[in-house]
Amino acid sequence: MKEEVIVAKGLTKIYHRGSEDIHALKNVSFAIGKGEFAAIVGPSGSGKTTLLNLVGCLDTPTTGSLKLNDIEVTGSREKDLVKLRRENIGFVFQQFYLLPTLTVRENIELPLLFSKRNGYKSHIDEIVEMVGLKARAEHLPGQLSGGEMQRVAIGRALINEPRIILADEPTGNLDSATSLNIFKLFHNLNKQGLTLIIVTHNLELAKSAHKVIQLRDGEIARKTSSRSLLIKARS
Amino acid sequence: MTIFGVAIAVAVLFSLLSFNSGYEKQLSGELDSMGIHMLAVPKGCPYEAASLIIHGGVIPKYLSNSDVEEAKNIDGIEVASPMLLQQFYKDDKPHIVYGINIDDMKRLKPWWQVEGRFFSQTEDNVMVIGRSQAEEKKLKVGDVMPFGPDQIPFTVVGILERTGTQDDEFHFLPLQVAQRIFGKPDQITTIAIRVNDISQISAISKELENIPDIQVVTMTQVMGTIMNLVGSARTLLISVIIVAIIISVLGIMNTLLMSVNERTREFGMMKAIGASGLDIGRLVLIETLFITVVGGVIGLLFSALGSGLIEGFVKGIIPYSPAGKLMTPDPGLIGLCLLFSIIIGFVCGIYPAIRSSRLTPMEAIRSNLE
Repeated sequence: MKEEVIVAKGLTKIYHRGSEDIHALKNVSFAIGKGEFAAIVGPSGSGKTTLLNLVGCLDTPTTGSLKLNDIEVTGSREKDLVKLRRENIGFVFQQFYLLPTLTVRENIELPLLFSKRNGYKSHIDEIVEMVGLKARAEHLPGQLSGGEMQRVAIGRALINEPRIILADEPTGNLDSATSLNIFKLFHNLNKQGLTLIIVTHNLELAKSAHKVIQLRDGEIARKTSSRSLLIKARS
Repeated sequence: MTIFGVAIAVAVLFSLLSFNSGYEKQLSGELDSMGIHMLAVPKGCPYEAASLIIHGGVIPKYLSNSDVEEAKNIDGIEVASPMLLQQFYKDDKPHIVYGINIDDMKRLKPWWQVEGRFFSQTEDNVMVIGRSQAEEKKLKVGDVMPFGPDQIPFTVVGILERTGTQDDEFHFLPLQVAQRIFGKPDQITTIAIRVNDISQISAISKELENIPDIQVVTMTQVMGTIMNLVGSARTLLISVIIVAIIISVLGIMNTLLMSVNERTREFGMMKAIGASGLDIGRLVLIETLFITVVGGVIGLLFSALGSGLIEGFVKGIIPYSPAGKLMTPDPGLIGLCLLFSIIIGFVCGIYPAIRSSRLTPMEAIRSNLE
């Protein structure tokens, strides 16, 4: 049995809007093993991004328990959450969020400014090459295509050598050919042992995952292997 | 815009402080260079009027030659030089005339250099003029021009080398000649006095005031009077500047808050990739300090380049201005203004920094999305 790096039990998230309570997640439980590739799918508003943000320690659940590498996240202080994010998690966003005044190399290097890890500078060239941007390293984001910008964002997520990569709709803004290249990149990373959790609408990407968590109205509608998702998609 | 706002605030502050310190220095230097320790003026003459005398102002009360003789008899007085100050208008311009005893003046102002020569006390219809007057009227040594209320021909026998003081603006005539052309025989506006020992100024001043017609004004009092007059204009100026600085600080803070709001998602991303609240707060503060220090440096350059214009403007609204350049770059003042820009940066940046550091990554990333 694979070592479990993420264990969620009964995660519930309620947002308050005026007097109204919005149940974004209801009693969600799952576990992700080390080196697994999981896809979170579901219609818009089903709670996919909320779940990803809880797993990424960007938000805290209203109730429930979440463990990352056996460390209980729920109720942790912000200082400890920052440390957890720095050391364990790399984030990739749909909208890339690159700093427009920094070059490709500098954007990738940015997390080192906060983690203050020494000896990682030599690692930058390696990452730039891994994401296929060696020739574009000194370009600004404005000079890149969407696919290249997402590669920069992936490089930035990798620089601190996290154990888990969380990606929120990483191909949402890309055309199908570029999306395919990004898939390949994620697959390669997964093959190297990284745990991947990707929120996606893209069934092609989801069906290549080891595990698929399908959400509907904040609840898990189905937890399945990608193979059965493939069958469902074909039917 | 933020840099520009800081630049203006610093430029204004530097100009004011620089002008103020330059003004005091120049005024003090000008009083020192008069070579006079005190002025004996007619009794009842207020200090303000006495102060006018050194700038060529005319007061309507007079001493007499006998007062001069009495003053000269007091022990400890090195020079007691009678002067008659008058002015007449020609072409709607005031012409300031000093009737002097040239031998006494040479002792009071040994640094006076003259192109041509000084007049002797017995000469008639001759004068020595200040350099600025000579340049303004394009006069040379030996020129003859109509002068005085009756426009009698006078010969310019000498032109003073530039002194950098009010003397550059005056016309100097033998005392008796001035008394005659202005119809003030035996009348004197003031007696300029230098003492042998400045520690005796107070005692000598008391003795002088025993002469029935005389009231004494020391140079320290003159300086104090002028500084008081200037002080009220300065207070008004400072009030305006304080309001301008407060408006500028609020403007800068508003711009920074807007910038922080616009960058909320950027900060959210930074938090997601490992930045702590402290990292974000520090980043905002450092950026703000950088902006304000750059603004400060630009402001200093502004005021250095535009010091002539600023000096002309401020001189126009301040009652008395010594001759010479008042705004000079003082390293201490430059440091103070840079410190001011750092303080502005800190004051303006601290609240946006705290606000941005307290954003949760979620609210930051989700901002503007809904």
